[in-house]
Amino acid sequence: MKNFFSLSNLEKEYGSIRDLSKKILSGDIRTLSRCITLSESSREDHQFFSRSVLEKVLPMTGKSLRIGISGPPGVGKSTFIETFGTFLVDKGKKIAVLAVDPSSSKSGGSILGDKTRMERLSQSDSAFIRPSPAGETLGGVSRHTREALLLCEASGYDTIIVETVGVGQSEATVSNMIDIFILLISPGGGDELQGIKRGIVELADLIIVNKADGLLRSEAENIAREYNSAVKLLRPKINKWNTRVVTCSALENKGIEEIWSITEEFFKKFDQESDLSAHRKEQFQKWLREEITQNLNKQIYSDKKINDLITIYEKKVLIGEVLPSAAAYEIVKNFLKK
Amino acid sequence: MFNDNNDIFILLRNSSIERKIMVGISKKLFEEWKELAQRELKGKDLENHYWITPEEIKVKPLYTKEDLKDLANQLENLPGLEPFMRGPRATMYTNKPWTIRQYAGFSTAEDSNEFYKKCLENGQTGLSVAFDLATHRGYDSDHPRVSGDVGKAGVAIDSVEDMKILFNQIPLDKMSVSMTMNGAVLPVLAGYIVAAEEQGVPQKLLSGTIQNDILKEFMVRNTYIYPPKESMRIVSDIISFTSKNMPLYNSISISGYHMQEAGSTLTQELAYTLADGIEYVRAALEAGLEIDEFAPRLSFFFCTGMNFFMEVAKLRAARFIWANLMKQFNPKDPRSLSLRTHCQTSGVSLTSQDPHNNIIRTAYEALAAVLGGTQSLHTNAFDEALALPSKLSSRIARNTQLILSEETGVKEVIDPLAGSYYVESLTNQVIEKTLSLIEEVEEMGGMTVAVSKGFTKIKIEESAAKRQARVDKNEEVIVGVNKYVNKNLNEEIDLLVVDNKKVISEQIQKLNKIKKERDNNAVNTSIEKLRNGAKNKGNLLELSIEAIRSRATVGEISKALEDVFSRHKAVSQSITGVYGSAFSEDTLFNEAQNKVKNFAKKEGRQPRILVAKLGQDGHDRGAKIIATAFADIGFDVDIGPLFATPEETSKQAIENDVHVVGISSQAAGHKTLVPELIKSLTENGGEKIIVVVGGIVPPGDIEDLKKAGVSAIFGPGTPITNSANQVIDILLKKNLLS
Ligand code: B12
Ligand SMILES: Nc1nc2c(ncn2[C@@H]2O[C@H](COP(=O)(O)OP(=O)(O)O)[C@@H](O)[C@H]2O)c(=O)[nH]1
Ligand SMILES: [Mg+2]
Repeated sequence: MKNFFSLSNLEKEYGSIRDLSKKILSGDIRTLSRCITLSESSREDHQFFSRSVLEKVLPMTGKSLRIGISGPPGVGKSTFIETFGTFLVDKGKKIAVLAVDPSSSKSGGSILGDKTRMERLSQSDSAFIRPSPAGETLGGVSRHTREALLLCEASGYDTIIVETVGVGQSEATVSNMIDIFILLISPGGGDELQGIKRGIVELADLIIVNKADGLLRSEAENIAREYNSAVKLLRPKINKWNTRVVTCSALENKGIEEIWSITEEFFKKFDQESDLSAHRKEQFQKWLREEITQNLNKQIYSDKKINDLITIYEKKVLIGEVLPSAAAYEIVKNFLKK
Repeated sequence: MFNDNNDIFILLRNSSIERKIMVGISKKLFEEWKELAQRELKGKDLENHYWITPEEIKVKPLYTKEDLKDLANQLENLPGLEPFMRGPRATMYTNKPWTIRQYAGFSTAEDSNEFYKKCLENGQTGLSVAFDLATHRGYDSDHPRVSGDVGKAGVAIDSVEDMKILFNQIPLDKMSVSMTMNGAVLPVLAGYIVAAEEQGVPQKLLSGTIQNDILKEFMVRNTYIYPPKESMRIVSDIISFTSKNMPLYNSISISGYHMQEAGSTLTQELAYTLADGIEYVRAALEAGLEIDEFAPRLSFFFCTGMNFFMEVAKLRAARFIWANLMKQFNPKDPRSLSLRTHCQTSGVSLTSQDPHNNIIRTAYEALAAVLGGTQSLHTNAFDEALALPSKLSSRIARNTQLILSEETGVKEVIDPLAGSYYVESLTNQVIEKTLSLIEEVEEMGGMTVAVSKGFTKIKIEESAAKRQARVDKNEEVIVGVNKYVNKNLNEEIDLLVVDNKKVISEQIQKLNKIKKERDNNAVNTSIEKLRNGAKNKGNLLELSIEAIRSRATVGEISKALEDVFSRHKAVSQSITGVYGSAFSEDTLFNEAQNKVKNFAKKEGRQPRILVAKLGQDGHDRGAKIIATAFADIGFDVDIGPLFATPEETSKQAIENDVHVVGISSQAAGHKTLVPELIKSLTENGGEKIIVVVGGIVPPGDIEDLKKAGVSAIFGPGTPITNSANQVIDILLKKNLLS
């Protein structure tokens, strides 16, 4: 298959790739937001076009702190970003927030609620907040988010926060595009906690027990204590970095300073040991492999002939004539022959 | 079930005539009726011949004495006596009619004062002040965030000087004044008290009501300023001050009105309001007051909509439940158990289509409120869904009550529907439903908790979405809107137009004057004292009165408190699926869905709309319904925060890269704010973003908005299936062109 599109129409509509990349670098918000749209688009020409822009600005990426924030719905991720982000903006930082919203109805539409929790931050000139519908990808983080992240870096944002809902799958993907992985949990209900899988805890560099306020406060502190002893048993993901556990109240703006100083400490350590660039290189490798898989998948399943073949083999598999593995082997072989 | 004895007649001898009176219906007779009814129904099963109301109350086609069998505790009540179900007073309207209290206020204190005096001359018996949204939210008229709001949806009050003008030549020792104020309640109530003082009227003679019901602000009315906890402190400070110094004054008007207007069912309205009431009682007790010191001064405020008998039943049920709930606090004074209320006819029931129909709707609603035994009443004007009332429409609204009161004889008998099989049975059902809803919030920890979790707000929004679906599917008939539509109607109606630029410049002049003439040191001292009081203890109303006396402004006092308390930011939640699930078979709905799919395929993503509110306009019912319905149709929907400036909305639209910004405008700010939004969009590269406007847009503004670049305007009553189709059509057309 060839990746060939007539880009001239798109250039007419959006501006030339050169122009767009220049505007991205100059921090033009409109261009940034349109390019993110193009990379999120389900149209391949859009994707190709936005990649062309991104490739042009790629050398200017990589200079931000990439922070991933995850946790079950309702723990206060968006509220935390509002408080934490406002704190950072007051410190002179330029923040971009990419919030992947999982809510999507049968119709394909959705209500993107995250930004309503970030009212003050969204008013700031030093903040760019982009809520995106998760669309088809379960859990919601995908190629789009990585590309959006890079576009934001090129536009001059020095701190990028990615908010995703923790539903299992997506954490691994997020942790593959950010530097520090923050997991939010909160007291109350109890079920929320049970929903968090061990694997996710292992990914976390920092665990924040949010909602440590009012009646929930002591419970939050108890949970933090429990987690603290649990993470001691974990093998450090990075040399010498042991997962930390703190409490905070996003709503009442408590514990934010400490979280920032832990983050700073993390990056200092990460940087000094020059782990950061190695880590990011590794992420790009993984990205490449993921993309190959995804691309192949997409091409196989969008091939009409192959789909017919799959149907035929499916029947054979079901009546026990062929083993699934054997069928797959034949199908892929057929696909490669074409 | 029924009495098996076939011949229960009591023979009555009345002079020489023998009459048979039936007491109880024989089973045989009832079977006869059923047979007859079944025949008349021609095939439709009598068993399925009933109405399920939005409250999920089953209303049967016929009620009989059997339905009253278990209601002895309800039937044996008398007015003026515990539990006051039949009325708070023993003689009710037979002795003193309800107060005719029309809610009004617009542009400046001068204009509103003029208007009030005319109304009083023409039969109105109490005043009710509507403030503009800048005042509601604690901003002076010169604040940059309120440029579109000053004087628009009520009267602008910046200082005690404005207050004095507002009540000029109105004797405050005689006139009972109601003020709808919640957010900026401290400076406004203080302003009223000091205005009276400077008229020579002492606090102890002041009678009237301050709304001061903050819990429902967080739920539905949206003119809060401070966070819930601090706001509750203000409420109890006011209750405690007035209970000591203003014995004739109602310190709070616990309001369900706004809930029904926001879309709640009648039982939700009742339950959440009574539960709010209990919460205020608890707050006052916690602040150290005795129950009988303040409970008799609590008053209520309900909405009266088109469900006629249910509204009557609701008021009777309200008094019954309140008395029973209040017993837990062991009051000695029976007045602590009695619920007194104001009622207002429903604004949402009124339409912009064929607006004269609204006169009739309002008259029925007024009758229901009176049959339910309200203590005072506001009747809405027929141009409700177009603008603030005009001179003509407010005259007719007032006369609706005068005619009801003077010409129909309704005043002559107390609680005239008592004993009606239907109304008594309905009253009982409303009581039961309401109690279970109250239990639900009590189990959560009471209203403060339920409200801060957003629980009750979401419940109300859900009811509103269901209602919208019923109307859009023509299941619920609104004459002139979805049935008997008068397509050729082309009436011109004279509407009140407020020149907001003029009001601002007059207010700024007055502000400058007061700031020049006052002793600024005295102001600073009193403001500092207030700030300290907020940080520590001290009665905030008392301190605000001092500040107002020194000529501090509403904005300055609010700001001082904001410095200590912070300004509350609401957390908005939303529902999905409620609207859409009602529509599986609807053609217009499916048509819109298909167009959306088509668009998404071409564009590479779903159509994306930012539903936004501009300025201090807090009406969010329309915006929330549009958001949830559009999402169900397939749009990606961003919801803008309340109280945004045009620039903030434009920034959000551009960052989120939406196709459309849909402004929902209710409080008349659009003329100033929408052109500013379009300007800001254009300046920031968003010139291709479509802007549409919905809500209250008077015919005279349509041209201006279109000229400014608005692509479509959707007035009240537009089915969402229509507006969604139109929006997607505009997008598809643009998509083809580009
Ligand atoms: C309900 C209501 C309230 C409720 C609001 C509850 C809530 N949470 O929303 C309560 C009781 C709290 C309230 C209070 C006030 N209200 Co009020 N209220 C109304 C009322 C009766 C109905 C509005 C409504 O919700 N209708 C139902 C919804 C579903 O319809 P809608 O919003 O019109 O939306 C439909 C269309 O317009 C369109 N649409 C709307 N937006 C959009 C957006 C898009 C993108 C699209 C496609 C379509 C679309 O589609 C919807 C479905 O058909 C109107 C009068 C009326 N009959 O319209 C007055 C009215 C809006 N209120 C008015 C006023 C003055 C006030 C107050 C300011 C009074 C005061 N001084 O204190 C207060 C303050 C409120 C505040 N914080 O801003 C005035 C405004 C005057 C003016 N414009 O000149 C009105 C017009 C009444 C009047 N004539 O006096 N109010
Ligand atoms: N008490 C308390 N509530 C919080 C806190 N942070 C968030 N919340 C509330 O939790 C709910 C969910 O918050 P949100 O930020 O949307 O959570 P998300 O789904 O994880 O993004 C909202 O009602 C918030 O107000 C906190 O620190 N304390
Ligand atoms: Mg969130």
